[in-house]
Amino acid sequence: MTISRRDFIKTSGLFAAFTALAACAPQTTALTIAGHSSGNGSIGVIPTPIVPTAVVPTMTVADPLTILTLNRISFGATPEIFDRVKQVGLDAFIDEQLQPDSINDDATDQLMSYFTTLKMTPAQRLQDTDRAQPIRDLISATILRQWHTQRQLKEVMVDFWSNHFNIYIGKSLCRVLKTDDDLNVIRPNALAKFGDILNASAHSPAMLIFLDNAESQKDAPNENYARELMELHTISVNGGYTQTDITNVARAFTGWTIVGPNNLFKPFGTYQFLERMHDIGEKQILNLTIPAGGGEDDGTKVLDMLAHHPMAAQFISDKLARRFVSDNPDPALVSDLANIFTQSDGDTPTLLKAIFQSDAFKNSAGQKMKRPLDFLASALRLTDATLTGQAPQLVDHVKLLGQIPFDWQFPNGFPDVASFWATTSGLLERWNFGNLLTSNQIHGVRVDVNALTKDAQSAQDIVDVLSQRFIGTTLPDDARNILLDFASGGDLGSKIASIAGLILGSPHFQVR
Amino acid sequence: MNTKFSRRDFISGMSNWAVSSALPSWMPRMAFAPDGVEPPGDLLVVIFQRGGMDGLNAVIPHGDADYYHLRTQLAIAEPSTGNDKTGIDLDGFFGLHPSLQPLKDLWDEKALAIVHAVGSPDPTHSHFEAMDYMERGTPGEKTIETGWIGRHLQSAPWQNTSPFRAIGMGGIMQESLRGPIPVTTLQSIADFHLQGDVSQLAEIRKRLESLYSLGGSLDPIANDTFDAVDLLSKVDISNYTPNGNAQYPVTEYGTALKQVAQIAKAEIGLEVACVDIGGWDTHNAEGATDGDMPKLLNELSSGLAALYTDMGDAAKKMTIVTMSEFGRRAQENGSGGTDHGHGNCMFVLGGGVNGGKVYSDWPGLSSDKLYGPGDLNVTTDYRDVLAEIVAKRVKNQNLTQVFPDYTVAKTLGIVQG
Repeated sequence: MTISRRDFIKTSGLFAAFTALAACAPQTTALTIAGHSSGNGSIGVIPTPIVPTAVVPTMTVADPLTILTLNRISFGATPEIFDRVKQVGLDAFIDEQLQPDSINDDATDQLMSYFTTLKMTPAQRLQDTDRAQPIRDLISATILRQWHTQRQLKEVMVDFWSNHFNIYIGKSLCRVLKTDDDLNVIRPNALAKFGDILNASAHSPAMLIFLDNAESQKDAPNENYARELMELHTISVNGGYTQTDITNVARAFTGWTIVGPNNLFKPFGTYQFLERMHDIGEKQILNLTIPAGGGEDDGTKVLDMLAHHPMAAQFISDKLARRFVSDNPDPALVSDLANIFTQSDGDTPTLLKAIFQSDAFKNSAGQKMKRPLDFLASALRLTDATLTGQAPQLVDHVKLLGQIPFDWQFPNGFPDVASFWATTSGLLERWNFGNLLTSNQIHGVRVDVNALTKDAQSAQDIVDVLSQRFIGTTLPDDARNILLDFASGGDLGSKIASIAGLILGSPHFQVR
Repeated sequence: MNTKFSRRDFISGMSNWAVSSALPSWMPRMAFAPDGVEPPGDLLVVIFQRGGMDGLNAVIPHGDADYYHLRTQLAIAEPSTGNDKTGIDLDGFFGLHPSLQPLKDLWDEKALAIVHAVGSPDPTHSHFEAMDYMERGTPGEKTIETGWIGRHLQSAPWQNTSPFRAIGMGGIMQESLRGPIPVTTLQSIADFHLQGDVSQLAEIRKRLESLYSLGGSLDPIANDTFDAVDLLSKVDISNYTPNGNAQYPVTEYGTALKQVAQIAKAEIGLEVACVDIGGWDTHNAEGATDGDMPKLLNELSSGLAALYTDMGDAAKKMTIVTMSEFGRRAQENGSGGTDHGHGNCMFVLGGGVNGGKVYSDWPGLSSDKLYGPGDLNVTTDYRDVLAEIVAKRVKNQNLTQVFPDYTVAKTLGIVQG
């Protein structure tokens, strides 16, 4: 049975898990990123107008390449990240981010401990009387991680692979299995070799359910996984396969299934191979011949062939370039990356470094529009937003922005081009979210704009400090003058929140 | 005469518009085009069933014995028994799935027509290719990036500067709408206004307009957004009651349809609305009379019936058409579902429809008649259906622009006019 979107998207408390989490004071403090500790104000308290001080704000202006790179490899480049880059250099920072286990992320791990279903087995999640709880937890955890993790590049790649191997969390048992896919398939392999994540995904119980391979029988194989494995996961729709190839891939994977809920001997929701469901006949797939009499290994051979197929190198390179460089990546860049993909056996860190070193990347400023989650997480990170102890009403906004994680019904993942996201309702909701967030009208979330501008004494200082913080640099004069005009006259202190909201709503904040 | 008055002019002129006393008070009757050049034709509502609807189980060919040979688990029983789990006979050969019961009255009053064995000639079985081809109206052609509705709006011989001329429900813009004419996307009328510090909102709005007038690529969309917000702010929808006790499904799809009716009745220039309903990719556990597919069919049909009822007299000037990227394999698979197929059925509903008839050149389901891996063949190009609606109901004759490089293959006579 498919859970309707309403079942879990309605305001009934997608973020209810935050309540317990935020109510716990020490952890609330842990939510703040270094330096600010303004987290415990109650809802609706209007910040007192700032008292101008004589301190001139210090502004560290980063070079354009640093700003561009940090925007692309994180969900929002905070002052702390800029400081770290200043300390160790951009290349070393990237290397650090490419070895996420070397980065302490205890605070994020601690946040995760509040999402009880993350630690459950599929069987326990299935028994939970609140059917939507595992869904709420995973969606909340994902947004919270993007917001808070120190391992930002890993999280960006988790988002990338979660979409590449998209699983709609509302489809039947995926609601209790996607959690394991996230924790055991996507996260450990986010910076691995392509063949490894492909192999892990092929064994993922959630994927086996989502694309129906779990039910595929030798007598009448189900083609769903076979087709999307080639079209979306590896060699693309231009991969040169035929309907016969699809049928034969489906035959090769017959028997790759999951342990069902009523099995008395094995744990529900784990992968298993069932010999009796497997088609042992010979299979010809593209140039691969699988002799008759095979078993589980038939599928492994297909995965190995596809992972090393030149069209997979091309397709994955193109998608990475689309994520990190441009909606229409330069074919020369994609071709270079495809070569590197082949040479490095699809090594994600090697490919990412090659992208960041390419001229196409260095010249790509302004070419990527933030997707809604990029926008949301960056707004929360850069405003130093904190949880107040009441259930945050973020869900309505995540929905209106249009990108609830894992709520994409198709196996292709959320689109990664501006032409999809640049819509009237999408833009309006970004403006509204920026304004509501900074004026503390989003229940359960609090922003202290006075703390963000504590060293600023003039309208210019405020505009510049906030621009610096939100977009990494001061705004161009034309945009800056618009904000200065807004700030002039009247009580400056009462306008800080709106200035901050306007910057979040500006075209300059919509790019990454 | 200035033939292209700007959208700004359009907005600023609104205060002069008359409110008809014949209409409920929330309904501002607004002129959206110069006198005499109003859109002459129907409101067009295009419903896309994403995932590939199993047309063979939606409108069953109960007169074709092969249907029952191919579907031992999923087949819907012949209508003869009177049992509510059997098909609902339409013409002795075709029948409605029992979950499409809400459409029966519309069929009887000849407002509903069905086209069967219809689809795109392109052989792709990829959702994404098939959807792109279908929505662009250019099967097999990868270089044209505009949609068939976008090109219709562009080529129509009348003017309409309303930001609500074309809307994409659900917050996304359907690919069929892509083109030079602005499209407003919408999830919720109630949320469609600028929010923030209320005491500063007017000033915030002014500065946002300025920030989006600096030559950036988002400027045109921002401009459309301001126009749409302004126009919608004149429409009070807080106590909207559907006409005729119409009951929309309480789903995103049902809510979207209800909002289409609200916007249509507000008379703010709506010509085309696109609405999606997803979940049709029934590879597994499709369900014959109980399960995923029957539930979806019920949602689909009760939404269609509600919109038709709610529109009341205005339904005479509305045409609703449904489509899906492809149908499904004629033979069920081993997991109680059906894999990607080819030919499908479409529903056409409205006051100007020659209804009560299934338009079909039935190709048969015997193995020598099936297409590709075993699919229902396509004997009617879906563009023949759309072209007739565009020309006769929407009244745009420029079909060579709507469907470039395509010549209508057959005249169906599915709509009046």
